[in-house]
Amino acid sequence: MEDFESLLRSSAEAHGHLCPGQVIGVRMAMLGCALIGLDDPRSPAQIKKLIVYVEMDRCAADAVAHVTGAKLGRRSLKFMDYGIMAATFVHLENGLAFRVVSKEEARDLAAVYAPEVAGKAAQQLEAYRRMPDEVLFQLQEVTVPISALDLPGPTRRKTACTRCGQIVRDGKEVETDQGPLCIPCARGAYFIALRDVTVREALSAAPSRSGATAGRP
Amino acid sequence: MKLETIPVEKAVGLKLAHDITEIRPGEFKGAAFRRGHTVCDHDICHLQKLGKNRLYVIELDEDEIHEDEAAAVLARALAGENVFWDEGPREGKIKLKAALDGLLSVNVPALAAFNMVDEVMCATLHTGTLVQRGDLVAATRAIPLVMKRGVIEKAAAIAQAHGGVVSVRPLRRARAGAIITGSEVFHGLIQDRFAPILARKLEALGSSIQEVCYAPDDTSAIRDAILQALGNGCDLLLVTGGMSVDPDDVTRNAIAAAGAQAIHYGSAVLPGAMILTGRIGTVPILGVPACALHHKVTVFDLILPRILAGEEIGKTHLALMGHGGLCRDCPQCTYPHCPFGKGA
Repeated sequence: MEDFESLLRSSAEAHGHLCPGQVIGVRMAMLGCALIGLDDPRSPAQIKKLIVYVEMDRCAADAVAHVTGAKLGRRSLKFMDYGIMAATFVHLENGLAFRVVSKEEARDLAAVYAPEVAGKAAQQLEAYRRMPDEVLFQLQEVTVPISALDLPGPTRRKTACTRCGQIVRDGKEVETDQGPLCIPCARGAYFIALRDVTVREALSAAPSRSGATAGRP
Repeated sequence: MKLETIPVEKAVGLKLAHDITEIRPGEFKGAAFRRGHTVCDHDICHLQKLGKNRLYVIELDEDEIHEDEAAAVLARALAGENVFWDEGPREGKIKLKAALDGLLSVNVPALAAFNMVDEVMCATLHTGTLVQRGDLVAATRAIPLVMKRGVIEKAAAIAQAHGGVVSVRPLRRARAGAIITGSEVFHGLIQDRFAPILARKLEALGSSIQEVCYAPDDTSAIRDAILQALGNGCDLLLVTGGMSVDPDDVTRNAIAAAGAQAIHYGSAVLPGAMILTGRIGTVPILGVPACALHHKVTVFDLILPRILAGEEIGKTHLALMGHGGLCRDCPQCTYPHCPFGKGA
């Protein structure tokens, strides 16, 4: 694995800016990987051994993904929408798993670890560099029961929703008295459907962008 | 934890679960009874006089730890180099002491992080305090009588991650070269008072002046004097005077011309704003402003022990000294028993 400063630099570049969350995320991922025995998680030899659960969609999540190489599309990155600055690192072969939680008191300690730095964000950024892991993180050894249907690899199963016909992958259908349903049909969705439209119709109605004519391929 | 309370008059034969403190104002403060003491008939009245009408009988669970054991775990983690304790926990508390004469170094962030853990505490003297062998430098305790082992381990891990929180660094015995600048002194118009002051301050810290050299307000002359002292084996260079803003004040230029590196001019301390710090190779060099002639204590007194303890004083140190760096210029100076220099 690259050293901390190199990882922080490349992570900040990938994320778009350098911030305290990047420092937390990079350190969280470096610690998590070390704990489960991965020294180069992005290498071809190790990339398939790791699953990472992130519990927040904040800057630190991008840093964790960057350092570990875990990706949503590879099914090696799982997003648990808990709103907690934490991530769990699972080694699929040796079974080791650790949950690393960023401690809230580290925020209050920033002023003592970097007293010479002015500005809240800059002070946190520098202080989080200096704090030992024991101060920055709370650690839990955990086990994560992972269904075979959630593992990386080819699609295990496809099922059609008996109400709308939508194909549902990897066992995400909901079994009901009426047969398997997709989650939107069974429990409702994050969106509210207004009507079905054609691509041509939708593009022609799209707002034009700086002189470009909308809707013309 | 199984906790039972029994009336003191029925406690004969019971082993005490913790030290019991007695305070007789102006006379005595300490443990009247130690943990593990077996209560006997004639103790009952004494305990009642101490306001103890009931006593605890405690059975610990496996994941719990008694305050005495906890204090020992904490003390082991907090004690850095040259810090020890020679008495077991008393009243749940352990006192950490200096193992040698030197400069107390407290890792202030580590101390804060340690004390952020609930139910443990550590209090220290100020970092940078000069201490003698055997001096009390810090004390720690677990606050409740019984607590979870995990909490103690967490606090200890924080202290250990920093390599301990309190340490004492010995002062080296420097052989200083004093370069006293000023044409008025060099030409004998006035008598030098700087050399005796420097000598006294160095001797108080176990160091000495190896040679004193006088130079006029001339860059080359001062530079040559610095290089000569260096060549003669001086391992600390103190250049006095000429640190201000007059056209005759050329000491800064001379120090730079002598090849000093890591030069920083100016500190957030009064008196002593015009001090210069740097080094030539590994030899520290200080430009000491004239305020050291007129004030009993200046920034020089704050940083000299640190330098002798091996610290390289830089811009950040000098900036952080601003907090607490204002001398009140009391008619009766009580330094070091005053706030001057204690904020950083």
